[in-house]
Amino acid sequence: MDRPEFDITIGKDGKLRVQVKGAHGEKCLELADLIRDIVGQEESRQLTSEYYGPGGMVRIDTHAKVARKT
Amino acid sequence: MSAVCVLTPIVISQWPAIATAVASVAASMGFAVVASGTQDHTTHRAAGDNRVETQVPNSEVLEETMTRGEKIVIEKDGIRIEFGRDERGACSVCVSGESYSKSQLKKIGEEVAGRVVQQFAYHKLMTELKKRNYDIVQENVAEDDSIRVRVRLGG
Repeated sequence: MDRPEFDITIGKDGKLRVQVKGAHGEKCLELADLIRDIVGQEESRQLTSEYYGPGGMVRIDTHAKVARKT
Repeated sequence: MSAVCVLTPIVISQWPAIATAVASVAASMGFAVVASGTQDHTTHRAAGDNRVETQVPNSEVLEETMTRGEKIVIEKDGIRIEFGRDERGACSVCVSGESYSKSQLKKIGEEVAGRVVQQFAYHKLMTELKKRNYDIVQENVAEDDSIRVRVRLGG
């Protein structure tokens, strides 16, 4: 896996847009939380397909019907 | 990318750090720092009501880190901007200028206040990420005056 990195844009109004790269699943959330804890309050967070990549945990609910022999 | 976050900086800090951000903004926007500290600023006030007061958004100046009445004042093209601490602890921004309308002064004050937040957030973020072993890979100021930085966890 690539080393985690951030692409950060700080607008002239002070607002930040942070893109987290190179991290999946919980690690990605930790990195996003890190930036939030340093800077201030989070207005929005959007997870992308890379979040669910290898190493990310996805819960799958399955319902199986067992046929009964009669 | 795995996540995209939009954040609003909270500027809670000691006065010297905020004054440093103001000085950086002054330099980048062509303002001159004309006063800093507890000098008497009353004689320099614009005549009449041609002044607008606002705040640096989401700010708090830690009281124990500044002397009562301490301010930093910047000037350019007949515009005077005083930064200090108001009664509620926020970083106050007072903009005055005889040749400007109130709406113009308000716009200038908001723009400068936004730039102060930008500088503060940039320095705080870079300081903290370096402590956590992140390296600055790329850095530039875009045409729209936004600061763009790429940082990567060090090897």
